[in-house]
Amino acid sequence: MSCAHDTAEPRRVLEGVSVLSNERVTEGVGLLVLRAPHVASTVRPGQFVHLRIARGRDFVLRRPFSVHRVRGESIEILYQVLGTGTREMSLLEPGAVCDLVGPLGAGWIVPEGLAHALIVTGGLGAAPLGMLAEQLAASGAAVTVAMGAPTAERLVARGLYEDVARVVDVATDDGSAGVHGFVTALSERLLGEHQFDVVYCCGPEAMQRIVAAQAAVAGVACQVSLERLMACGIGACLSCVVSTHSGLKRACVDGPVFNAEEVLWDSSEIPPKH
Amino acid sequence: MTVDMSVKVGNLELRNPVMTASGTFASGREFAEFVDLSHLGAIVTKGVSLNAWSGNASPRIAETSSGMLNSIGLQNPGVEAFIERDLAYLADVDVPVVVNVSGHSLAEYVALVERLDDHPQVNAFEINISCPNVDAGGMAFGTSCVPAAQITEACRAATMKPLIVKLSPNVTDIVEIALAVEAAGADAVSLINTLLGMAIDADTFKPKLARVVGGLSGPAIKPVALRMVWQVSNAVSVPVIGMGGIMTAEDAVEFMLAGASAVSVGTANFVDPTATMRVADGLSEFCRARGIARVSELTGALNTD
Ligand SMILES: Cc1cc2nc3c(=O)[nH]c(=O)nc-3n(C[C@H](O)[C@H](O)[C@H](O)COP(=O)(O)OP(=O)(O)OC[C@H]3O[C@@H](n4cnc5c(N)ncnc54)[C@H](O)[C@@H]3O)c2cc1C
Ligand SMILES: Cc1cc2nc3c(=O)[nH]c(=O)nc-3n(C[C@H](O)[C@H](O)[C@H](O)COP(=O)(O)O)c2cc1C
Ligand code: FES
Repeated sequence: MSCAHDTAEPRRVLEGVSVLSNERVTEGVGLLVLRAPHVASTVRPGQFVHLRIARGRDFVLRRPFSVHRVRGESIEILYQVLGTGTREMSLLEPGAVCDLVGPLGAGWIVPEGLAHALIVTGGLGAAPLGMLAEQLAASGAAVTVAMGAPTAERLVARGLYEDVARVVDVATDDGSAGVHGFVTALSERLLGEHQFDVVYCCGPEAMQRIVAAQAAVAGVACQVSLERLMACGIGACLSCVVSTHSGLKRACVDGPVFNAEEVLWDSSEIPPKH
Repeated sequence: MTVDMSVKVGNLELRNPVMTASGTFASGREFAEFVDLSHLGAIVTKGVSLNAWSGNASPRIAETSSGMLNSIGLQNPGVEAFIERDLAYLADVDVPVVVNVSGHSLAEYVALVERLDDHPQVNAFEINISCPNVDAGGMAFGTSCVPAAQITEACRAATMKPLIVKLSPNVTDIVEIALAVEAAGADAVSLINTLLGMAIDADTFKPKLARVVGGLSGPAIKPVALRMVWQVSNAVSVPVIGMGGIMTAEDAVEFMLAGASAVSVGTANFVDPTATMRVADGLSEFCRARGIARVSELTGALNTD
C-alpha cells in the first residue's frame, strides 16, 4: 500500500496571507478564502493550517482549521462561529492580512488501487473532506457520500460533493432534507449495500466512533479525523494527545487523520459545549 | 556597530541571552524548519524523568486572557528514550543544551542526573522543582526551603556541570527559596515556572482542564515574573535566567533590566514558531540603536532613581 505518510511531508512554514473573501455560508458558518501560495501548492487533503486570527496580547493562541479546498494560490476554510476566535474571524474583511503556520499534520491516506470510497460527514466535518473528494473523483475513483447536519441549510459543502460524487445521501436532525435522523443510519445502510475499499469520516467524535464500528463490522478500513485543543500545532507541546493502541499520539503531527482501529475511544476528546 | 551578544550564566557561555523555556520547544527538532537552532543562546529541553510518564488526562490546555493554562503533566518517554532520540538529534546541532530534569523523589532526581552527567551533549542541568502539574514531587519540592535545598545539594553532588534550579512562583517568598538553593550549590536560578491557576466553563459548570488546575503562562504572568526576577536578582549573587510571558525583544530587555543575565522564551513559541529569533534579533537591534556595546550591560541596569 502506498500512502501519503510514506512520502516526505511538505515543508511547514510561517506564511503571511491575505483575505480574498469571507462570506457567510449559512447561519453561523463562513467561508474564508486566503491567498496562501505556499500552502496552496503543497497541502494534501486532510492537512490543516494554524491561523493567527488577531494580533494583540489579549488573544494568545492560534486556531487550527482544515484546508477545505484549494484554487490556484488560494485556500478555502469552511468555519463554524463558536467562540472568541471564530467570531473575530467572521469579521475579517477582504484585504486583511494575517499569518498561518502550515501545511500541518498527516492527512487522508489513499490506498493504491482505490476504486470506491465512502465519505461520511457530520456538520462541519464536511470541511476537511472536500479536497479529498475532488482528488478521488479526478483520479477516477467512485465516491459515495453520506452527509448529516442539524438542518438542510447546515449541510455545508453539499454542492461540492454533489459535483464530484456518484451518490450523495443526506440526513438532517429535523428532517428538512433527506432522511430524518442521523447520518450513521445512512452509513450503516450504504456499508451493507455496497463494497467500499475505504471509509473516510469526519464529524463529532461520537459519530466518528459509530461509523468506525460500522466499518469494522463490514470489514472496511476506516480513517477518522480527530480534533484536539492545540497550542503549538507542530508537535512540541503535547496538548493534543490521542490515546491509541500504540500509546499517546499527537493529533497535530501524527494526525489529525488516524486509522480508526488504532484509536482508543476514550474521554480525551474536546468536551461538547453544552 | 556590532553588539557583543554573548553572555555567561555561571560557566555556561551563550552566544546570546535567548534560551528556550522548557516544555515549549521539545528538543528543538520541531522548530528546525522555522529557526536556525545554532543561533539560539541555548536549548532547554522538555522535562525528562527517569522512567516514562504518561502525563495528565485531556483537555490539557485552556486559553485565558493574555495567556494559557496547561496541565500537560510532564509527559515524556523517560531518560533512555530521551538519550536515544533527543540527545542523538542534538549531537548534530551546534547549540548548548540544558536538560530539564524532574523526579517524584530525591533519589529519582539524583539517578537521572547521574545517568546524564557524562553525556557529551549535556552542557548543563535545569532542576525542575516547580512543576505544578504532577502529584508526587514537582512543585512540592520547590515551595519550601528544606526540600529545595536537599534536591539541589544532592544533584550538586552528582554533577560538575552547571546546575540551574528552576523556581516556582507559587510561594510566599521566592527570595527565601532562591537563597536556599544558592547556598546548596546552585550555579544559577531560573524563574518563573507557571503560576497555578484555573479556568471554568460557565455553560457546562465544568473546569476547562481535566486536572481542574494547571499552570498559567504567557503575557498575563509577565508583571509577576518581572517582580520576582527583580527581587531574586537583588538577593542572590548567582546569575538569574528570567522568563514569563516574553513575546518581544522589549519584553526580554525588561527582564534583563530587572536583573536577568539570560532569558527564556516559552509560550511565545506556540504563537510564533520564529519567536526566539525575533527576540534575539530584536535584542541586538535594541542595543545597536542605543549604542550599547555589550548586551550584558543591560543586566540589572534598572534605573530606580
Ligand atoms: C486539525 C483541526 C482541524 C479543524 N478544522 C476545522 C474546520 O475546518 N472548520 C471549523 O469550523 N473548525 C475546525 N476545527 C475546530 C476549530 O479549531 C475550533 O472551532 C476553533 O479553534 C474555535 O476557536 P474559537 O476561538 O472560536 O473558540 P473558543 O472556544 O473561544 O476557543 C478557545 C480555545 O479552545 C480551542 N478550541 C475550541 N474548540 C475547539 C475545537 N473544536 N477544536 C480545536 N480547538 C478548539 C481554540 O482553538 C482556543 O484555543 C478544527 C480543529 C482541529 C484540531
Ligand atoms: C505547555 C507547557 C509545558 C511546560 N513544560 C515544562 C517542563 O517540562 N519543565 C519546566 O521546567 N517548565 C515547563 N513549563 C514552564 C515554562 O518553561 C515557563 O517557565 C513558563 O511557561 C513561563 O514562561 P512563558 O510565559 O514564556 O511560557 C511549561 C510551560 C508550558 C506552557
Ligand atoms: S498541538 Fe502542540 S503537540 Fe500538538
